[in-house]
Amino acid sequence: MKTFDQTSSLFWLLVSIAVFIESLRLGIGTLHNPGMGFLTFSASGILGILSLILFLQASLRRKEMKTAPLFAGPLWKRVLLVVMALIVYSKFMPVLGYLISTFLLMITLFWILERRKIRFVFVSSILATLVTYLVFSKWLNCQFPHGLFGF
Amino acid sequence: MGVLVGTLVGVLPGIGPAGAMALLLPATFKFSPTSTLILLAGIYYGVQYGGSTTSILVNIPGEASSVITCIDGYQMARQGRAGPALGIAAWGSFIAGTIANIGLMLVAVPLARAALSFGPPEYFALMCTGLIIVTYLAQGSILKALMMALVGIILGSIGLDIITGLPRFTFGINELTDGVGIIPLVMGLFGISEIFVNLEESLEREIFKTRIKNLWPSLKDWGQAKWAIIRGSVIGFLIGILPGGGAVIAPFVAYAVEKKVAKNPEKFGKGAIEGVASPESANNAAAGGSLIPLLSLGIPPNPIMAIFFSALMIHGIQPGPLLIRQNPDLFWGLVASLYLGNALLLLLNLPLIGVWVKVLEIPYKLLFPLILLFCLIGAYSLNNVTFDLYVMIFFGVVGWIMRKFGYEGAPLILAYVLGPMLENSLRQSLLISRGSFMIFVSRPISGIALGFAFLLLLSNLFPYFKKQRKQYEEFKE
Repeated sequence: MKTFDQTSSLFWLLVSIAVFIESLRLGIGTLHNPGMGFLTFSASGILGILSLILFLQASLRRKEMKTAPLFAGPLWKRVLLVVMALIVYSKFMPVLGYLISTFLLMITLFWILERRKIRFVFVSSILATLVTYLVFSKWLNCQFPHGLFGF
Repeated sequence: MGVLVGTLVGVLPGIGPAGAMALLLPATFKFSPTSTLILLAGIYYGVQYGGSTTSILVNIPGEASSVITCIDGYQMARQGRAGPALGIAAWGSFIAGTIANIGLMLVAVPLARAALSFGPPEYFALMCTGLIIVTYLAQGSILKALMMALVGIILGSIGLDIITGLPRFTFGINELTDGVGIIPLVMGLFGISEIFVNLEESLEREIFKTRIKNLWPSLKDWGQAKWAIIRGSVIGFLIGILPGGGAVIAPFVAYAVEKKVAKNPEKFGKGAIEGVASPESANNAAAGGSLIPLLSLGIPPNPIMAIFFSALMIHGIQPGPLLIRQNPDLFWGLVASLYLGNALLLLLNLPLIGVWVKVLEIPYKLLFPLILLFCLIGAYSLNNVTFDLYVMIFFGVVGWIMRKFGYEGAPLILAYVLGPMLENSLRQSLLISRGSFMIFVSRPISGIALGFAFLLLLSNLFPYFKKQRKQYEEFKE
């Protein structure tokens, strides 16, 4: 946790500096007439101070605290695969349309979790796609993209 | 529909009430504001009921508000008393929910009337106090919770400035001129990140196999649990009203109080029925109590109420002291639905308990892709733009990393919603006082609220100084 806190505090310190500079650019105004950067200027200033306190606290801590490792074990890669699948889905949904893109996404997600059973992956993906399409598009009138193929 | 979805969400670990509400919010655009509020309240209440089922039968809390129920509930199940544990949890929730509804009727209207005399300094002070209490009650580091609240304020400022109408922190992205959407933000931080955390772990879980019988608690059980239910209800209701309180903290306080007043505190942790009755009553009473600051002051006291707040705003209703006067049908419709919802939940959780046990057996490998798909649909259908999907995925990853680094999402969400109101009140107050901060301490309500918040912050330093002193003494020796 010591290293975690040091790293995260430095990250928030950088964020606070960036917001602080941008707030100054936006204009903090005066106390009589605060500008649009006034609140973020104050918030980022305090965030910067708190980040420094956290960094010092972590650095002065004598021993490491027990914590879960950031990327450990064989399963964290599953998260990365899912994130990539979600990003690709977001990119291609307007192009391929809801039905095709969702079917491909569901195949990917089910495959990531259940690699061995092809029939399970295929049937679950078709059912999930069709049922959500019927419920959200036909029943709740959500506007899904039709894509190149018109569905 | 609300209580059904709420119970389902409560039973299934993986998506919390915030995620479920955010998910269903776009579907409510065609509903009336009253129906929307009823649906959300049903989900919130239902989650409190459903969360106890997994705590008792699986020893995994369905929701954060049912964590403490695991201790005695699971022990009761192991002793073959799963039926009375589930029964007393449902009855306790019902009684507490009813008490909270009566409290809501009695307190909200006079408080809204009193709040009409509040000005920007009072609102600023109350919102600051709420944020400080949320950070004070954080499960982890208070320092980190405070940092998250500040990040939430900064996030809330993205978009057009309320007074000048000019864009801030939009980085030239047109979609950001309306700000970061609360739905993708909440879904990402609570829903998606929760799934990511679960994806890293083994997806197997063990349901305690037992025949569920005697759902109606015996007279002896009632005798032991009745005061625990009453105490839990009162404690839960009062904590629910507090800014920063809510259904998560109340069960812990109620359990601690129950253990303290018990004649045989040693039986707690070994299957004491009071250890189930008290926290389960407290979380339902807190859910009802937390509606009061939202409906009478227009201040959401916790992240769940922040979603209620957003739902009202989406439907063109300004939460605040005038809400009850201008929309009596909304307020009284909600109150009536709470009574009805409570009764429905009792029916759903006692005779239909077998159904929920079956739901528990749905494998995660089937559940998680579906929850992810629902989140994607929910985020997309808000504005029909893929940008919201990217925002949700981004905050999903941020939330996942935040959990690993020990940062909580709740203060961020609350500050994000309160941020624009906080800014408005601060700027208005400074305009009124011509730049003097004394306006916040010279007015009694804001002075007391800020003084309380300051003392709360200061109280964090005492354990630190005590520890430093001890270390110094050790070093000297």
